[in-house]
This record gives sequence, structure tokens and C-alpha cells, in this order.
Amino acid sequence: MAEIKAELSTDTSNLHISNSSGNVSSQSNNPLSRKLNKILETRLDNDKEMLEALKSLSVFFMENSLRTRRNLRGDIERRSLSINEEFVRIFKEVKEELESVHEDVHAMSNCCEEMTNRLKAAKEQTQDLIVKTNKLQGENHRLEVRSQVAQAFLSKFQLSAAEMGTLRSARHGPITEDFFRALTRVKNIHEDVKVLLRTNQQTAGLEIMEQMAVLQETAYEQLYRWAQNECRGLTQETCDIPEVLSQAMEALQERPVLYKYTLDEFGTARRSSVVRGFIDALTRGGPGGTPRPIEMHSHDPMRYVGDMLAWLHQATASEKEHLEALLKQVTIQGVEENMQEVVGHITEGVCRPLKVRIEQVIVAEPGAVLLYKLSNLLKFYHHTISGIIGTSVSSLLMTMDEMHMLSKKMFFNSLSLHASRLMDKVELPPPDLGPTASLTQTLSLLREVLASHDSSVLPLDTRQADFAQVLSCILDPLLQLCTVSASNLGTADMATYMVNSLYIMKTTLALFEFTDKRLEMLEFQIEAHLDTLINEQATYVLTRAALTHIYSCVQQHTIEQGPLANLPGMDSTSLKTAMVQFDRYLASPDTLLMPQLNFLLSAAIKDQIFKQSTELVCRAYGEMYKAVTNPVNGYKEPESVLHRSPQQVQTLLS
Amino acid sequence: MTTAPYNYSYIFKYIIIGDMGVGKSCLLHQFTEKKFMADCPHTIGVEFGTRIIEVSGQKVKLQIWDTAGQERFRAVTRSYYRGAAGALMVYDITRRSTYNHLSSWLTDARNLTNPNTVIILIGNKADLEAQRDVTYEEAKQFAEENGLLFLEASAKTGENVEDAFLEAAKKIYQNIQDGSLDLNAAESGVQHKPTAPQGGRLSSDAQPPKEGCSC
Ligand SMILES: Nc1nc2c(ncn2[C@@H]2O[C@H](COP(=O)(O)OP(=O)(O)OP(=O)(O)O)[C@@H](O)[C@H]2O)c(=O)[nH]1
Ligand SMILES: [Mg+2]
Repeated sequence: MAEIKAELSTDTSNLHISNSSGNVSSQSNNPLSRKLNKILETRLDNDKEMLEALKSLSVFFMENSLRTRRNLRGDIERRSLSINEEFVRIFKEVKEELESVHEDVHAMSNCCEEMTNRLKAAKEQTQDLIVKTNKLQGENHRLEVRSQVAQAFLSKFQLSAAEMGTLRSARHGPITEDFFRALTRVKNIHEDVKVLLRTNQQTAGLEIMEQMAVLQETAYEQLYRWAQNECRGLTQETCDIPEVLSQAMEALQERPVLYKYTLDEFGTARRSSVVRGFIDALTRGGPGGTPRPIEMHSHDPMRYVGDMLAWLHQATASEKEHLEALLKQVTIQGVEENMQEVVGHITEGVCRPLKVRIEQVIVAEPGAVLLYKLSNLLKFYHHTISGIIGTSVSSLLMTMDEMHMLSKKMFFNSLSLHASRLMDKVELPPPDLGPTASLTQTLSLLREVLASHDSSVLPLDTRQADFAQVLSCILDPLLQLCTVSASNLGTADMATYMVNSLYIMKTTLALFEFTDKRLEMLEFQIEAHLDTLINEQATYVLTRAALTHIYSCVQQHTIEQGPLANLPGMDSTSLKTAMVQFDRYLASPDTLLMPQLNFLLSAAIKDQIFKQSTELVCRAYGEMYKAVTNPVNGYKEPESVLHRSPQQVQTLLS
Repeated sequence: MTTAPYNYSYIFKYIIIGDMGVGKSCLLHQFTEKKFMADCPHTIGVEFGTRIIEVSGQKVKLQIWDTAGQERFRAVTRSYYRGAAGALMVYDITRRSTYNHLSSWLTDARNLTNPNTVIILIGNKADLEAQRDVTYEEAKQFAEENGLLFLEASAKTGENVEDAFLEAAKKIYQNIQDGSLDLNAAESGVQHKPTAPQGGRLSSDAQPPKEGCSC
């Protein structure tokens, strides 16, 4: 740079020199000097333009020669011209570019304007449509709401397609849970739809109601047919009630007629199953003959009838269970009665075979005791089975009651027959005045009856009821028999015989319960005969002691007869003689016993008679003593006549 | 939803026997109601209870007949042995007499039931250890000699009550599997039901194949 500057400065100085030829300083105001001055004053360092110019000049001004200096101006002008030309050329391009841009912008502007116009036009055109659309949207919304309402209405008041299908298919297929759900829906709709009747939708309400009613009826009918068929199939011995069937009964309870018919069908099916089972048990028994057929035991009436009744008890209990399973969901009133009624119906079929067999047993006259046991057994099972069936009218219970009555009647018949046979051929009392064979035999019958009665399966109160009848049925004829057979006996014999017979009856009865009253009666009767025997024994003693005459004189003596001692046979000597006899008796009173007393079966009774008759003797002696010691009766030394005081006699005899 | 068409596949009939007061009714009550009855009246005749149990995955309905132990009912209760699949023979471990009577009960059971009736001996009132009058070993031996199952139980505490009924059921079920028990015969004490539902069809031939050869 410095080099260039130096050079330039040199050049300039040269130039100036050449341009000013001499008198520089003198002529300061001549143009040249001014020019020079000006040049000299020029501060080249700061003049950028000048520097640039000089720099450019250095590019083409290579050779500093005169020629080149002369041509410099031309060169520069030429150069300037070419640069300008260049500029023009380039600028022309720019101008052209600019013009094309301008054109584009213009076109765009036109385009925009056109589009704006079009938009404007479109806007004007669609205004209508938008209004319409808005309207339609509003409409749409309203419709949607209505549709929802309608949907809600439908789902509330109409069945779904699936539900409808379920109800329809029930005609052919089995009933399922879904069926009951659909049926419940129908019922609910029918109920709910009543709300509509209170609004202005009455027509719809009525229509739906009718529709539901129809649906309900057909559904119930299908359900009924299905349930009926199901029940009809329940004829196996095992009978497991499926859950659906219980549900069906629950639903059918709303239609009492269908409900009842279904139960009837069930009853009929079970009835035939029970009859078949019963007949099988009677005639075929179990597998390979175990258990053996019940009829195998027909020779043993108690076992035979007992097995039949036990079988029926078990069957009845099972059937009741089936019914409980069938009706477990039924809530109407009187379900228990329904069940009892149906069990009654079910067990109706076995009545005939049962009756025929029991009748056979009864009619075969198995004897009073067996008849009695049978009647008790029948009563027991009547009681047991009515615990299951209830007390409502049931053929089975009626049959059992009938058989009970029959066996009881036959029992009493048999007793009466026995009694009348006894009376037909009255047996005379045996010489020992003991019980006759027919008495012993009848009493052993009574004993057997009472024993079976005591071990009876019946509760106490029921047992007591027909007890009196049994007793009188046997005892009354027996008593009569004894009286009749004793009628030709002497007093003491008769009394002894009667006491013995009554005593046997009493000891027989004493072993059993509920006999207190009868025992008391027998006791009274015995006592009556005892009195006789006591008197007889006392008389016997007085007779043997030869005091009979004396005693009767004492008893019958009246004042008009005068003193006793004057009466015939009543003098002191006679009395003394009698006293010798009496003394002998006092020494050993046991020897003076009526022979009959030794026939008495009861030692206690014998003792009692002995004791009481002795007392009578004492009393008689006392009376005689009193009469003899009475001065009025004219005995001289009464103490020597009756030398023993009544006290002495009493002491000796006790 | 599928409800099982049947509630059970077998019915076993049981009978409970033994002297009065040994706790037969209490055992039954404990088994069916899971409760103890402190003042249980004497059974009159025969009473009845049921419960469904499970044996080897099969539902079995037990139909149980509880008999009266009082002597006067003996003739009546004998009629209930008929066709029992299982018999529970009960004595009271605190009363030796009830144990001594077992042979008479066993005779009845053998005479009146099927040869393959399962008999289980139960010594009840095991809770009254202090009053024990019959040892476990002694009864166990008696059971073994007579081919009986045996358990001591208490109807009061419930101990072994469930097992008593179940053990017998298992044995019966085993007999069925063995084929030693004929299912199709009436009065075998066991009843089997077809597992296939019979549908809603009217069937005129709905009888079980009972006519199986029995000769
Ligand atoms: N401590 C105890 N007492 C029992 C048990 N089982 C029964 N009892 C009692 O024994 C008594 C008789 O029981 P029940 O079940 O009536 O006897 P049962 O064998 O049925 O008698 P019957 O019906 O007459 O044959 C009752 O008072 C019961 O409370 C037991 O396991 N433990
Ligand atoms: Mg009991």
C-alpha cells in the first residue's frame, strides 16, 4: 500500500509538473495554480473515492508512457463506457425480472380478487343451506331424544326379541331359567303399563296390556303343558324334583286351575309308582330275593301287616318329601293342605291291595290276642301316617281306620264268642273249690291280651281308652260263669269257691296297669264272700263247742220268759258240760277249722277269716257271760258255771 | 345358566338301631341340623331325616330312619330294616348294658337286611370320657370280629358324627363300584338316577329298567 501511495504520489507530482510549466508560485490566481493548489491541498488519505479511483486506475494503467498518458482519458472514457454498457445490460435484465414479478403479482392480485368475489358469491349462495342445516340439526336432535324415549318405552313395555324367542320356543323345547325371566317380564309389563292408563297414552296402554295378557296366557299354557309332561314322567321309584319344575309350580300358582291340574298329574304319576313299588315289595322283594317279598311272611300276621304298614309309612314320608321339593317355592295359602291332599291321592292306590290283605288276615281268625295286637298296630300306624298326611280325609287313613275297627270288632267278637262258649257248657266247681279249667284258661287269655296291651306301641292315653271294654268283656262273663257254676253249692262251699275264683282274677289283673278300678270291685266282691265265711266259721266253732243252743237262747231271751236258767237246756249243769267242750277249743283253737278254709288259695284270706271269726266267738262268749252273771237270770254261782271271764277267753284266743 | 337337572344321583337308605337312650336321635339330629338336642324325648316308633352328601364327587341323598330303642317298639322297628343300604348300630360308651345288647341288635340286622348292607358300629357319648364303661379296644375288636366299621362319636360335640354317616356311604358306594350291589333292583336300599335329563318330552316308557334279571 505504501508502495502504491508512493508511486501515486510520484505520478501525481509528475503529472502536475507536466501540466504546469514553470511559474507556479507567481501566479496564484491563474487557473493552473489554483488547480495545482487544489491538487496539493487534496488530502488523498481521506478521500476514499479518490483512493478507489486510483486503485481502479492501477488496474489498467500499466505503463506510464507518454502515449499511455495521452490515451489515458480516452481509456478511462472507453472504460467508463464499457462499464456503463455493462451496467445497462445487467440492469436491463433486472428490469425485465422485475417486470415479470410485477406481472405475477398482478396476476395474483387478480386471482385473489376473483376468489374473493367467488367466495362472496358462494357465501351468498350457501346462506340458505346453513340455515336449513341448522334447522335440520335441531330436528335431528329432537328426533334423537324422541327415539331414546321410544327406546326406553319399548324396553320398558315390550319384550326383547330374545325374550320373545324364549317364550315362543317353550312350545317345543324344554323350559329354562330364561323362560321364567321372560314370564316375569311379561307380568311386570302388564303391571307397569297400568301407569299409562292414567296418562293420555291410554290407547297404547290398553294395547300393551292386552298384548301382555295374551302373551301371559300362552306362556302359562305352555308352562302348564311342559310341567304336566314332566310330572307325567315322574313314575320311577326314585323321584328327584328338578329345580325348574319347582320354579314352574311357583309360576303356576298364579293360575290356580293349571296349578291344581299339574298337581293332579303329579299325584297320578306318583300314585302309580307307589302302587307298583308296593306290589313289588309284596310279591317280588329285593334283588335276588333279599329282602324277601313281604307276602312270604303272611303266615306271621304281625310281621306281615307290620311290614306292609312300615313300607307304606316310608313311602308316604318319601312322597311327602317329593311334594315339599316340588312346592318349596309356592307361597299361596294352604300349601300344606295341598300337599296333604296330594299325598292322600298318591297313597290312594295302595288302599285296595292293603285292605284285601289285612282283611284276609283278620278273617282267618288268628285269635283274640293277635286281633288285639293287630288293632293296636293299625292304630299306631294310623297315628304315625296321619303325622305325615295330616288328618284330612285320605283313603289310606280311612282304610287303616276301617281295618283297625274291623280287627277290634273281631277281637271283641272273639272274646264274646269265648264267653258264650263258656256259658254254653258250665263247668261244675272242682272238689277242691279251686278255679275251674275254663276260668284258668280264660284268665290266661286275659293275661295275654293285657300283656300285649302293656307293650303296646300306642301312647298311654289311647291305650287306656278301650281298656275298660276289654276288661268287662272278659271279666263280666267270667263272674257270671262262676256264680252260675256255684249255684248248687252250700253256703260255705260257694263262698270259698267264689273267693278263690275272685282271688285268681284279682292276682291276674294286679300285674297290669289301669286295672285299679276293677281290682277294687273284685275286692268288694271278695269281702262280701269273706263275711259269709267268717260267720260260717264262727258258727262252726260254736257248734263244735256245743254253744249254739245256749248262744241262741241268750240272744233270743226276753223278760217274759223268766230267768234263763229255767229254760230247757240252759241249766247250770248243761252249761258246765258245754264249757268243758269250749275249754278244749280254747286249748287249741286251730283244730276247729271248717274244712273249706283249707281250700282257700290265699293264706292271707284264710288268716283273716280265722281272726275275724275268732273275734265273733269272743263276742258271743262275752254276751253269754254277761247274761249268766246277770242275777235276773237265776244262776246260783255264775263264776262256777262260766268259769272264764271274757278277758281270759280273749287272751287265750289271740 | 345351567341348573343341574338333578339334585343327587343316588339315594341310600339308612337305619339307626340300638338300645333306648344311647343317642340315636341325637346323632341324626346332629347330622341333619348340626345341633345337639339336650332333652330329646324317646322316639315313638320311627322317625325320618334326610341330607344330601357328596361321595367321590357324586351327590348322594341319605334317607335315614331313626328307630325307637324301647323294647315295646321292637316288633314295629324290625319292619324298617327292609331294604336298608346302611345300618348304624349305636351303643353308649358309658353304659355297658347297651354294649352287651349289641349281639341281639346285630342278629336282627343280619337277619332282616341284605347281605351287603353296610353296618357301622358307633360308640356314642365319647365326650363323657370320665364315665366310660366300654373301652375303645374292646369295641374295636368286636367290630373286627363281626366285620363292622367302627367309630366312637359324640352327638353332643359333633365329633365323628359326620364321619360315621360318610364312612358308611363310602363303603356302600364302593360296593356299587365293585358291582356287588345291584342298583336296578327295587329295595336294594340304593336308588340310582339317570344322569341325562329326560327333557320336556312326553314319554310313555318312562320306567326304569327294573325288569333286570332277578332269577
Ligand atoms: N353327653 C352326651 N349325651 C348324649 C349324647 N347323645 C345323646 N345324649 C343324651 O342321651 C339322651 C338320649 O338320647 P336320644 O337321642 O334320645 O336317645 P335314643 O337312642 O334316640 O333313644 P330312643 O329314642 O328311646 O331309642 C338325651 O338326653 C341326650 O341328651 C352324647 O353324645 N353325649
Ligand atoms: Mg330316639
